Amino acid sequence: MDPSLTPAFVSVSDVVIGLSLGSRLFLIAVGLSLIFGVLGVLNFAHGAFYMIGAYVTLAVTNQVIDNFWLAVLAGAVAVGAIGALIEIGTIRPLYERAEGELDQLIVTFGFVLVIHEAVRFVWGSQPYSIDAPASLAFSVSVAGSTFSAYRLFVIGAAFVVMAGLWLFITKTYFGALVRGTSSDREMASMLGVDVPKLYTAVFFLGSFLAGLGGALSAPLQSTSPALGDQVIIDAFIIVVIGGLGSMFGAFVGAMLVGLMQAIGPQFIAAGHIAIPFLAMVIVLLLRPEGLFGGIGE
Amino acid sequence: MSTHDGITDRVGAFGREAVSNGWTTERFAVLGLIGLVLLAFGPTFQVYLFTEFMIIALFALAFNLLYGYTGLLSFGHAMFYAGGSYGMAIVLRDASPYVAEVVGSGIAPLVTFVLGALAGVSLVLLIAVPVGWLSVRLEEIYFALITLAFGMLVFSVIIQNPGGLTRGTDGVIVTLGITEVAGMEFRLGERRTYYFLTAAIVLPSIYAIWRVVNSPFGTVCKAIRESPDRAAALGVDVTYHRWMTFVVSAAFVGVAGVLIAGLANVASPYHAHWTTSAIPVVATVIGGATFFAGPIVGAFVFLYVRWGISRFPALEAHWEFFFGLMLIGTVLYFKQGAAGGLLMLRGWLGDVRAAYDRGGTDAALDYAKESTSERLGRGDRSAEEEGGDRE
Repeated sequence: MDPSLTPAFVSVSDVVIGLSLGSRLFLIAVGLSLIFGVLGVLNFAHGAFYMIGAYVTLAVTNQVIDNFWLAVLAGAVAVGAIGALIEIGTIRPLYERAEGELDQLIVTFGFVLVIHEAVRFVWGSQPYSIDAPASLAFSVSVAGSTFSAYRLFVIGAAFVVMAGLWLFITKTYFGALVRGTSSDREMASMLGVDVPKLYTAVFFLGSFLAGLGGALSAPLQSTSPALGDQVIIDAFIIVVIGGLGSMFGAFVGAMLVGLMQAIGPQFIAAGHIAIPFLAMVIVLLLRPEGLFGGIGE
Repeated sequence: MSTHDGITDRVGAFGREAVSNGWTTERFAVLGLIGLVLLAFGPTFQVYLFTEFMIIALFALAFNLLYGYTGLLSFGHAMFYAGGSYGMAIVLRDASPYVAEVVGSGIAPLVTFVLGALAGVSLVLLIAVPVGWLSVRLEEIYFALITLAFGMLVFSVIIQNPGGLTRGTDGVIVTLGITEVAGMEFRLGERRTYYFLTAAIVLPSIYAIWRVVNSPFGTVCKAIRESPDRAAALGVDVTYHRWMTFVVSAAFVGVAGVLIAGLANVASPYHAHWTTSAIPVVATVIGGATFFAGPIVGAFVFLYVRWGISRFPALEAHWEFFFGLMLIGTVLYFKQGAAGGLLMLRGWLGDVRAAYDRGGTDAALDYAKESTSERLGRGDRSAEEEGGDRE
């Protein structure tokens, strides 16, 4: 869309673009928030995980099997597995350390550098893009604006994932274990929960969601090695606004940040950068636990 | 065999002399200064690299005042780096003609540089006082996040180009000019001149930071790092003290920012981006945050390993990969970092020397062999114990 034709008030198309951006950000942020809520680890590499999801999906559709949905699944599973390996190998030894939280942040930042360079080494620096799957390659008209069906599908997917996660955490046995361990690790361990295994499972789930986000985003944005650095900062903003550890907060935060980024530039040129950070600072100062503190509640 | 013994004896004798009491701190300092002067006659690129090393060392050292000495990890120190850069660049661009009118054109570039440096540090203080006051209310991860957010806010202000001051993504070009002092002309931007200028600013700054950490103020910092609650119980106003440390740390980062603008010939928005905030984190952790000299060693490793990697064209573009691995390895297995490693090496060399004093070369070699195999053996055992713990 030509920006000069965009009127200086909020249009339907801006809202839909904001929500579509928010949906992708939600899939990274919710995993980041889940991992922080249960393990107390702020995973700096979560944006890099999202990026790997996009690259694996591109590589699988181009070179292995020409089925977008299988490629998305491959991307998400691969990222989940990488996340689990990183947790077992490098995060687990740090849980007992006195200043473990900062050490974990620094170790996961180390993985940001490693993954960024590994991706550049394998796929090069040029941006890639793929087409939306043929089954969704048509346009839909909403209130006079035209959108690709795939964009609307991704928004729907975020709602489905949110609902599914909520059911999973509140209604299943595994969800009860996650909630219990999140509120009191020692007690859960004494009651027979295999905490290390549960931590790895949660890290797998959180990473899987980041990979899924990256995979589903591949047709909507160009994929380049800079992608991870961009989205991790957005994800940090979202989890802070929504509340570190809160999944519902991640959802609301992601949609808010998506909308701020889509609408902000109409008011201030650098608004898409400044407004979310300003919101982050205000939330951290006035309500550090975020708008929706706590997990699963 | 006899020549082999002769050489080791001679090397041993020299080594003994080098670490014996005759070699005082003063003599090492004089040697260091001579080294600094000699380096100025080296290849231009090496002079440039060492200048950058000094600047990054100051950046990391100032950052570590807050991280290593107070336990607060800032992911937004780039805002002060950029603050120093832009303060200096804007004064150089806008105030040069006025300064020349007042002090005459000969000395003007040097005076403008000093004024620019003062402006840069003042600008940093102007940012750091309120930002620090707000940030130190939070701890650990939350402190890292709020400094990250403030840093990116500064970045977005620079991109926004308020009043045409910062020139958006282009940045502000820095031209240092030619100054005339006592009848001699110096081109300030010339690599060797700038090298001496940097050394003349960085060395006193490092000494000042050293005085700070060894003052009662620094002792309180360490007390807060070890236990904020106990420090508070002893009557320390923890929040106020953290705020002051934040401001002092920021001011020295500002000095480094002033210098990088002159070296890079530009104040760039990149200097404010969060990826720049990561540079002192990487250098400090690799060097060893618990040692005063850790960030300096880390900055040295950061720049010279990067330069070493750039010798191999296949690896050149991927140097960050190795720093990522080094970062992970240091945090997991060797928290003391490179400075801790150097200290261990010094202690070990001292032991070897003691063995040499007892029984000559053979005893020293025996001790070296024994202690090395013992250390390796112990490494295996502790690995087993760790494995056992996991069961």
